[in-house]
Amino acid sequence: MTANNHITTHLSNAAVESEKRIRRIKAESGKPVIGYLCCFAPPEIISASGAIPFRITGRPGEDNTAADAYVEPYGCTYVRNILARAVRGELEYLDGLVISHSCDMIQRLYGIWTYYHPLPYSYMFNVPHQVSPWGQDFFKRELGFFQESLEKFTATRVTPSALKETVATYNRNRTLVRELYNLRKETIPAVEGSDILNLLIYGGSLPPDDFTILLEEKLAKTKLRKPREEKAPRIMLWGSIMDDPSLLLMIEEAGGRIVADDTCIGFRVWEKDVPLTENPYDGLTDHYFVNFQCPRTDRGPGVNRFDYLLQRAREYNVDGVIGYCISFCDPHKFDYPDLRDYLKKEGLPMLLIDDNYSFEPAGSIKTRLQAFLEMI
Amino acid sequence: MNQSEMSRAKRHLETTRKMKEMLPRFFMRQMERRFSGDEPLAWCMVGVPPELLKAFDLLFEWPENFGTMCASRLVAPHFIEVAEGDGYSQELCSYVTNTMGYCKLTKDKGEPPEESPLPGGMGTPSMLLGSGFICEPRWKWFQSIATRFFNVPVYSSDPLAPPWDIDPRDPRIEEHYLALLREDLAGQIDFMEKHTGKKLDLNLLRETLALSHEALGYWRDTLALRKAVPCPMGSTDYFHSIIPQMYLVGDQEAVDFYKEMYEEVKDRVDRKVGIVEEEKYRLIWFGLPPWFNMGIFNYLESLGAIVAYESTYNVGDYFEVDLSDPLEAIVRRTWQRAVKMHDYGAETMPELCNPAVFGGFSGSSLLDELVEDYSLNGALMHLTRSCRAVSFGEVHTKNRLARLGVPSLIFESDMADPRLWSDAQIKNRLHAFLETMDKAAGGG
Repeated sequence: MTANNHITTHLSNAAVESEKRIRRIKAESGKPVIGYLCCFAPPEIISASGAIPFRITGRPGEDNTAADAYVEPYGCTYVRNILARAVRGELEYLDGLVISHSCDMIQRLYGIWTYYHPLPYSYMFNVPHQVSPWGQDFFKRELGFFQESLEKFTATRVTPSALKETVATYNRNRTLVRELYNLRKETIPAVEGSDILNLLIYGGSLPPDDFTILLEEKLAKTKLRKPREEKAPRIMLWGSIMDDPSLLLMIEEAGGRIVADDTCIGFRVWEKDVPLTENPYDGLTDHYFVNFQCPRTDRGPGVNRFDYLLQRAREYNVDGVIGYCISFCDPHKFDYPDLRDYLKKEGLPMLLIDDNYSFEPAGSIKTRLQAFLEMI
Repeated sequence: MNQSEMSRAKRHLETTRKMKEMLPRFFMRQMERRFSGDEPLAWCMVGVPPELLKAFDLLFEWPENFGTMCASRLVAPHFIEVAEGDGYSQELCSYVTNTMGYCKLTKDKGEPPEESPLPGGMGTPSMLLGSGFICEPRWKWFQSIATRFFNVPVYSSDPLAPPWDIDPRDPRIEEHYLALLREDLAGQIDFMEKHTGKKLDLNLLRETLALSHEALGYWRDTLALRKAVPCPMGSTDYFHSIIPQMYLVGDQEAVDFYKEMYEEVKDRVDRKVGIVEEEKYRLIWFGLPPWFNMGIFNYLESLGAIVAYESTYNVGDYFEVDLSDPLEAIVRRTWQRAVKMHDYGAETMPELCNPAVFGGFSGSSLLDELVEDYSLNGALMHLTRSCRAVSFGEVHTKNRLARLGVPSLIFESDMADPRLWSDAQIKNRLHAFLETMDKAAGGG
């Protein structure tokens, strides 16, 4: 199977397109589709087991009332949105579900979803909060149990060499994504942030080889493209899950350039290769746990835990940071005051957009964005 | 918030009324130690075994409990608003924002704010002992305190439990989790030894655990007595009697307290003395209580409603463990809680709530048992806006109760932030709910 040549033309609605595509891939390949949320359970293991990993996305702003019969209104609107989609039957193409122990709401979603709407396969990937030696050992053992459960479901044994090969395939994509990100370091970035996010969302629905082709196409086209010349404030985006480009488009329309990010579907997953270690679990633990910069993981007190962000801001020559927090997002909302103060001390202004996963009222958000961009 | 709407709780038991003398005595002892030397002081979270603190003879304070005190004295909004001014969202746990505001004022003024409910407030910590026992905010809470206010070392313990669809009796799974619990406990002890300069005395720990288990045995038996009709003990006594579990467990004083409470409640059962004259409604309470308005339970009692069981703060659940190896006993106690929850099939909490029994039965089949054993005919669910860890899952619990024919009411407010309390509206809803129960019972 190869990537559709027209892929890039559809990317303005990547989340919708990716679902159409996964249905097609599933029909063509006959392979089960395993949906996942959060990034702790490696999709590499899902792929190596003969299933297709698929990053589930929400539909910001859509009606969440279908979730009301199962969960309360005072909870993460993203989680409510995903559950509402499952309840409405929109995720019927999923054969399985993998949810990681990332935050309270996501965990609760696993229990409630699988209780009311069981799937042929489901796995809750448990993750410690401390990156202690015993936390890492637990994570490695958890990788083993996760793999076993998949092997049982797909009746495919995953050998270490097959897993290593899959990791290498995914790493090729990481290299290409980093190449794309490098183009954003230039004075006039050759690629817009919303474009990149769309690409990454769409890539979450593709088998890794197909994603490689898509990334190569995108890179080639981007290198040929003449970037828009005007100088604009360079923005780094930080915060809760962003599986829709609406906010990025608003920032771009308001005259900002998003050159870097620190969000769930952004650079975190691609920043480094998964080390190709003798025991593949060592490399996966390193990548998906030890070095994976999700604020739910405890990295001790002090502002040094944000150093990686500052380093990224310097590398991409960022002028300001825009934070995005979905209602009731504890891990990000707790970090905001510490991060804001740290960035301010380092001369980087920060604006926080608090949202209920709807990007509404758009007018008010745009006004705040414009004021912030003018200010910097 | 109209402060005149808030009312303090009336306790019914002599034993819990005596706490009004017992706890100040405890706090005075703590304060004397604080001011008489330079002993290390740990701020702790529920989930840190109090027996360990005792075995290290470590001076400790509980910011969560301080939050409940600030709430009941109605000073929490002041501290919370300071935290909000500092950038903390109103959606965040009000126990946490209460502490953050308190810490900011303490740091800015160089002394504890005068509004503090305890004379002299909380002391300045020299270490923070956290626990990921219950929720996500707890991981961020002490991290932020040590980042913004007090540059002190932090250790947060990391207990995990299997999700509801994983078999905890599979020996490999059991060992997977036990290994984490053991090593995490060892890490916690290493940290405490390093920062107290003391070596853990295993014999003292064993003795402390024995006393702790004796006290918790009485606690378990007291709660079981509430199955009696009329119910001999209500929520005001329940919620206040958890406090010795935090401060005094492991002391003979706690054993005496819970023994006395057991005997008093047993005597009430024998004499058929209830809390309300005519028990029309026997309820189960879900969620954290509104600490700023505990009189709401007395209001319910005035309508003939008694809460016979509460889903939260049963932090000292009792488990039989072999104390010959006291460290393994702590690990096994934690694990047994996880297995118990699993056995009841708690769908919504286990992966989160872990080894705590803290609300862990939301939605589980334990509900069937409680409804039967405690003769419950209704449920009240306090949806606390700033604590999703405890309240997210109440709709699911409501669904489970509906299947058992038990009506329930979800109403919104908060545990420590009285700005979210609307007295007239909430009382109207409670009243209307009880009337609906009447009509349903009467076939109307």
